[in-house]
Amino acid sequence: METARKNGKSDDILLEVKGLKKHFPIQSGFLRRVTGYVKAVDGIDFYIKKGETLGLVGESGCGKSTTGRTILRLLDPTAGEIVFDDPNIGKVDLAKLKRSQLKQVRPNMQIIFQDPFSSLNPRLTVGQIVGEPLAIQGVASGQALKDRVAELLQEVGIRPENMTRYPHAFSGGQRQRIGIARALALNPKLIVCDEPVSALDVSIQAQVLNLLEDLQSKYDLTYLFVAHDLSVVEHISDRVAVMYVGYIVEMADTDSLYYHPKHPYTEALLAAIPKPDPRRRTRPVKLPGDVPSPANPPSGCYFHPRCRYAKDICKAERPPLRDIGNEHWVACHFAEELQLQGVTRLSEIPVIELPRRQAPAPAPTAATPA
Amino acid sequence: MTNAVTGAETSNVQIVSEDDVVRVQDLKLNFYTALGVVRALNGVSFNIPRGKVLGVVGESGCGKSQTGLSIMQLTTGRIEGGSILFREFNTGEAIDITRLEKNGPEMRHIRGNNISMIFQEPMTSLNPCYTVGNQIEEAILLHQTQDKAEARKRAVDILQKVGMPNPERIADSYPHQLSGGMRQRAMIAMALSCTPTLLIADEPTTALDVTTEAQILDLMRDLQNEIGTSIMFITHNMGVVAQMCDEVAVMYLGRIIERATIDDIFYDPKHPYTISLLRSIPRLGVARGEKLESIKGTVPDPYSTVTGCPFHPRCPAAIPGLCDAVMPDETFVAGSRTHTVRCHLYT
Ligand SMILES: Nc1ncnc2c1ncn2[C@@H]1O[C@H](COP(=O)(O)OP(=O)(O)OP(=O)(O)O)[C@@H](O)[C@H]1O
Ligand SMILES: Nc1ncnc2c1ncn2[C@@H]1O[C@H](COP(=O)(O)OP(=O)(O)O)[C@@H](O)[C@H]1O
Ligand code: SF4
Ligand code: SF4
Ligand SMILES: [Mg+2]
Ligand SMILES: [Mg+2]
Repeated sequence: METARKNGKSDDILLEVKGLKKHFPIQSGFLRRVTGYVKAVDGIDFYIKKGETLGLVGESGCGKSTTGRTILRLLDPTAGEIVFDDPNIGKVDLAKLKRSQLKQVRPNMQIIFQDPFSSLNPRLTVGQIVGEPLAIQGVASGQALKDRVAELLQEVGIRPENMTRYPHAFSGGQRQRIGIARALALNPKLIVCDEPVSALDVSIQAQVLNLLEDLQSKYDLTYLFVAHDLSVVEHISDRVAVMYVGYIVEMADTDSLYYHPKHPYTEALLAAIPKPDPRRRTRPVKLPGDVPSPANPPSGCYFHPRCRYAKDICKAERPPLRDIGNEHWVACHFAEELQLQGVTRLSEIPVIELPRRQAPAPAPTAATPA
Repeated sequence: MTNAVTGAETSNVQIVSEDDVVRVQDLKLNFYTALGVVRALNGVSFNIPRGKVLGVVGESGCGKSQTGLSIMQLTTGRIEGGSILFREFNTGEAIDITRLEKNGPEMRHIRGNNISMIFQEPMTSLNPCYTVGNQIEEAILLHQTQDKAEARKRAVDILQKVGMPNPERIADSYPHQLSGGMRQRAMIAMALSCTPTLLIADEPTTALDVTTEAQILDLMRDLQNEIGTSIMFITHNMGVVAQMCDEVAVMYLGRIIERATIDDIFYDPKHPYTISLLRSIPRLGVARGEKLESIKGTVPDPYSTVTGCPFHPRCPAAIPGLCDAVMPDETFVAGSRTHTVRCHLYT
C-alpha cells in the first residue's frame, strides 16, 4: 500500500497492515483432515496514525476481533505484514517476529476486551489483575508495584482501597475500568479496544468512552476501536474502516465515511442505524440475503449478491481497495460514479436542560458532572 | 376512575384505555436469596392498548425483564402484590394472571396462544436437540392445527417471514448450526407462530447487527399492523425506542419513573433520569470530540435500600432534605392526561 506513505508522512504511521490474512482450518471426519478454511481475515490493508483512533466496524463474524488479535500476535497470521513503529527499536514486522522476540514489543501493544464479566480472572484480586503485566515484564515488584497499581486504579476512577477485592464485587462499568487500568500498566502506544462498551448501559458507556478519550490525550495513545454501534464509533473515531467478510471495503476520515460514503455496503449499514428521533422514522431498504460465510465467500466482489448497484464485472472481479483521493479508500468498481446516501446529522433533536429547583445555580448547568 | 375490565377502583394517576390488552397494577416482586431480599419490582403499573407498542427502558437490573417474565408467570421471584389483568380480545374475557397457577392448564394455554415472549438470550428458548422446524411445528400442532403437513407449511412460511434466506433448509437445521442472528430470528419465528395478542420482546435485537435489527423491527411492525398484536418492547437502545414505540415507560430500580407518549419522551421529558439518559447517548454529527454527558455513579446494588427518591444519589437536581427523605408519588404532568412522572420537581 504505497499510497499510505505517499499521502501521510510515513513517520506519522504507528501501525501499517499489508495483505494480512488469517485463515482458520476447518477439520472434519475421524482423522480431523483439513477440508477447508474459514477466511476470517482475507487480505486486508490499513494503517493507523500516531495518536489517532481508527474505528473498525462491520457485521458480526466479519473478522473484526480476529484482525485485532492477529495484529497483536495473539493469533498467528496466515500471511501479510504487520509493521509496527516501536518507540525503542523502530519499525518491525510483527508477523515475522518469533514469539521470544515479541516480548520486547508486547508492552507497547495492549488489548481491552468486550465482555467485562469474563475477561478478568475471577480468582485474582483487582491488584493482582492490574499488576500482572508489570510483574510478568519484571518492571516493578514489592511496594513499587503496589504504588503503580494504586496509581493506575486512581487513573481509571477506581479507589485504590479496592485493590484487595475480587472482580465479582464490581459492576460491568467498573470491571471495564479495571481492564483499562491493566491495559495501561506498561505505558503502551497502541491499544486495541475490542467492543469495550458494547456490554454496558448507555450512561455507563458514556463514562467509559470519556475515560478512554481522556487517557488518549493524556498518554498520547493510539486506538484501534472495534465496535458494532455506529453512533459510538462516529463519536470516538478520527477515521473509520468498514469490514465485510474478512475484507476492508472502505476506509476514510469519519466525516467522509458517514456523510459521503463511497461503498454500497457502507451506505446500507448507515441506513440501518435506528435514529433516536421519533419524528424521523425510517424503514431502510432491506439488504437481501445474509452475510456470506467466510468459509465459502461468493466470487468477485463479496458484496455482489446483496448489492443493488452490482453489474456483471462485480461477479467476476474482486475490486481492490484503492485511494480515490484524500485518503478515502474504497473497494468498489464504481466508487467514483455512484451517488450514495450518507447519514443525516441529528442536531435538530432538542437536548433538554436538566430542571433545577434550587436557588439560582452558581455554575453553568449545561454539563452533568461526571 | 373505574376499571373497565374488573370494575375495581384504580389509582387516578394510572393511564388506562378502553381497549387495554394488559393492565399491570401495583406489581410487587421479591427474590429471597441467601444474601437478603431483592425487591425487584416495587409497585409497577402500566397498560398496553390493543395494537400499540410500549417501550420499556432503563439501565440493566432495573426490572425490565422481570416485569415481562411476571406477565408470562415465568419469573423465579415471588409476586407479593398487585395484579396483571390480561384481556383476550376475541373473547373479551379478562383474567388476573397473578391468580393463575404457574404451570396450570390456563397459564399454559395463555403462553401458547395469547402471550409470547422473545427472550434476551435465544438459546434459553431453543432446544438444542430438535431442528428449528420441528420446534415451530410442535408449537403449531399443540395450539393451532392437527395436520402435520399444514404445520410444516406454516413453519416454513413463518421462517420466510422473519427473513431467513433459505427457510426449507433452516427448518431442518439445529440451533447450533445457525449464526447468532439467525437463532434470534428462529426464536422470533417461534414466538410469532401463534399470532399472539401480546408479544413481550426482551431486548430482541440487542445482540444483532444493525442490518438484521432493521429487518426484525420491520417484521414486528408488520405483525402489529396485520394482526393488531400489542408489543411490550424492552430495550435500552433509545434509537430503537424512537423508531418502534408508541409510548414509553422509563424504569429505575423496580419502579416506573416516567411514562409518556414517544414524542413527549424525546421532546418534552420531565424526569431528571430520563433527561440524563437522553443526554448521554452519542448522536450522529453532534459534538464529536466533545465529552459525552454521563450520569454520575451507578445503580445501587439490589440488596441495598435507598431512602427517598431512589435516583437521588445520582440526581443533579436533587433537593436536599426532600429528595433524600421522601419518596415522590407518581403524578400527571401539568395539563396532560398521558404523561406521568415520579419526581418532587413536579409536585
Ligand atoms: N478459532 C477459530 N476457529 C475457526 N473459526 C474462527 C475462529 N475464530 C473466529 N473464527 C471465525 O472467523 C470469522 C471472524 O470472526 P471474528 O471473531 O473476528 O468476528 P467479529 O467481526 O469480531 O464478530 P463479532 O462482531 O461477532 O465479534 C467468523 O466466521 C468466526 O466464526
Ligand atoms: N434469580 C434472581 N435472584 C435474585 N435477584 C434477581 C434474580 N433475577 C433477577 N433479580 C434481580 O431483579 C432485579 C431486576 O432484574 P431484571 O428484570 O433482570 O433487570 P433488567 O431486565 O431491567 O436488566 C435486579 O436487581 C436483579 O438483580
Ligand atoms: S463492486 Fe459491484 S457489487 Fe461490489 S459494492 Fe461495488 S457495485 Fe456493489
Ligand atoms: S425526586 Fe428529587 S432526586 Fe428524585 S429525580 Fe426528582 S429531583 Fe431528582
Ligand atoms: Mg468480535
Ligand atoms: Mg434484562
